[in-house]
Amino acid sequence: MIFNHIGYYSLVFGFFISLYLLFFSMFLYLKGKLNNQLNLNIYYFSSLQLFLVILSFISLIISFILSDFSNETVYYNSHTTKPLFYKIAGTWGNHEGSLLLWLLVLTLFIFIFILKSNNQPKLYRLLSIFFQQIIITGFFLFLLITSNPFNYLFPIPIEGLGLNPILQDPALVIHPPILYLGYVGSSIIFSSSLAALIENNFSKIWAKHIKNWVFVSWIFLTLGILLGSIWAYYELGWGGFWFWDPVENVSLMPWFSLTALLHTISVLEKRQLLKSWTIILSISTFSLSMSGTFLVRSGILNSVHTFANDPERGVFILTFLFILIFLAVFIFFFFSKNIVNLNEKNFYWLSKDSSIIINNWFMMYFLSVVLIGTIYPIFLEVITSDKISIGPPFFNKLIVPFLIPFLLIMSFGPKLKWIKDRFNKLELDKIFFFVISILISVLIYEKLGQKNLLITILIFASIYLFLISLIELIKSRNNLSQKLSHFGFSLLILSILFNGLFSKEFSSNMKIGDQIEFDNKLIKFKNVESKKGSNYNSIIASFVIEDENKRISKFFPEIRIYNQPNIMTSEADIKTSIFQDKFFVINFLKNENYFNVRYQVKSFMIWIWISTLLIVLGGLIGLVRKIK
Amino acid sequence: MKIIKYFLLLLIILNFSLTKAFSNENRILVDKISKNLRCLICQGQSVYDSQSEFALSIKLLINEKLEKGNTEKEIYDFLKNQYGDWIVYDPKFDKKTLLLWGIPLILFIFGGILIFRKVFIY
Repeated sequence: MIFNHIGYYSLVFGFFISLYLLFFSMFLYLKGKLNNQLNLNIYYFSSLQLFLVILSFISLIISFILSDFSNETVYYNSHTTKPLFYKIAGTWGNHEGSLLLWLLVLTLFIFIFILKSNNQPKLYRLLSIFFQQIIITGFFLFLLITSNPFNYLFPIPIEGLGLNPILQDPALVIHPPILYLGYVGSSIIFSSSLAALIENNFSKIWAKHIKNWVFVSWIFLTLGILLGSIWAYYELGWGGFWFWDPVENVSLMPWFSLTALLHTISVLEKRQLLKSWTIILSISTFSLSMSGTFLVRSGILNSVHTFANDPERGVFILTFLFILIFLAVFIFFFFSKNIVNLNEKNFYWLSKDSSIIINNWFMMYFLSVVLIGTIYPIFLEVITSDKISIGPPFFNKLIVPFLIPFLLIMSFGPKLKWIKDRFNKLELDKIFFFVISILISVLIYEKLGQKNLLITILIFASIYLFLISLIELIKSRNNLSQKLSHFGFSLLILSILFNGLFSKEFSSNMKIGDQIEFDNKLIKFKNVESKKGSNYNSIIASFVIEDENKRISKFFPEIRIYNQPNIMTSEADIKTSIFQDKFFVINFLKNENYFNVRYQVKSFMIWIWISTLLIVLGGLIGLVRKIK
Repeated sequence: MKIIKYFLLLLIILNFSLTKAFSNENRILVDKISKNLRCLICQGQSVYDSQSEFALSIKLLINEKLEKGNTEKEIYDFLKNQYGDWIVYDPKFDKKTLLLWGIPLILFIFGGILIFRKVFIY
């Protein structure tokens, strides 16, 4: 009860502070005093704002822990029998709480920004704070008007409605916060690029300083996407890691844009070039992150992830987003003459600069494929009322062929010199790797049942990149961050390819006592038993798989029936080993004695996760080295 | 409504039983085809992934068509006829999807031209 009030009024005060900071930073900026100190009030009020939002967030957590059903959010999303861990996690497992988390990260990041930007010009810092406070004010309004997490319920219900069981999962406890750290990090990049544009502050020092934020957002965004993918793999029970589902796509779009920025910012740092392009990427990364939130929350997208939706909220975010984009575009066109460099140098074709531009070219292409593929059905339906579905085949057709040149350029691009490189004699080891890659891919081509030339060439390109980047990694530790990430990327593409090519699956309806042959193995359905969990009942089936050498492995897939809300979930039994995952899942069939049984052997599954972790690790090393 | 009507019809045709084992070679094809179909009553799942009665009956239908000797294309066409283009995940190239396929490729070419003008060779 009391926490409801604490939480709500902290938000209200926080909102007024953000109005104050908005006007105060603008006032100081216009006054433009020359001393280089930031007004102490800015420090005080930013830390007070952060404190209030933390207080509000903690109040919500406590309401969840105490199962205080006088709070509407708690009532709709929690239940007394839920384990404590998921009561806490339930705080951000819903719309209101997750927005409060957004706001928390926003205020935290601007606070860190203020602390860490001492070496930057004062006017630039003030402007960055101003833009960031516009975003923060918007989120305060959004929370207070359409999604107040502290709505009061009377009479107080005795029991809550519970959290969607598929969200009751450890990976989902950390997936949203991590992803948000990535999204919100891009807001700092957005604000400070606009400020830098107005102040024409594109020094080397600025590039270095903003590069840290790009790295931070990129690391969290990549990690967040990975966690979501792992969660979907074992919880949604289809055994896939990526379905080109709209909500997955929505998180991938800012990733493409941010990855392009991550590369471009080096050109800016080294050569003070591509300034406008850097700004465009900053704006687009943030806009895509925001529209991600909008598309997920508005219910426009038809997706498994649509947990909560409400048109009013969608309209609010959409309006807010348009205002921000309009503001950004206006500033861009008004001030871009600041940075037009009359003797803007060109790029020599064989140089690191050019290879980074080519990276951006492909990134933008991939981004456009995913963007168009995601929003096209919505527009088509609105305009012609025709409904079409766009799924994996579309994305594969448009992305796979382009990956081949992309991977090949990636194999030599990073080693080129800045500004101008010379075409060296062909090195022997490269020819050697080239031949090896061709041999391996031909071997795989021969072994495959379904012959596909395009896939074979793609295998060749990724093996080549894999070998080249592996050797580079062994040769020297310079530029470890980039080498590790690129190596991880080649491994990722290889693992995805092998996963697609060598995985086997079996799906059938079985009743107790049945046995079916699959892939020279015998799958036997032994029995089922029921068990009671803290807030669910479960049916555990036991299966035995016997291979040709009479070796036996046992599987215990589970079906859980949660009490609040009454939802059934399938918990797969997954046995992970180095080269393959064995994935066993059963489903209930209504009014029948049968279960739907699905057994999949997923090749190189674990390598998809490991390689993505390597990519993230590369980013992390880069960040640590930069901060040092 | 239309979907439910077809669905009930399907159930009657298939004799209310959703649990038939498929022959081995058909099973692989059924899996392959059903992966490309949207489960119309689910939220963003393919027929292959879903265990809803709708999905199960579609799988049975595919199996039946295969036993009758229909080709993959005939099955897709039949389903598109019944349920509209929405059911397949692989949009075909036609007037409606011209921009869908075209925009990314045009952007790629456009980007290429922009870069080509910025980069000098000699």
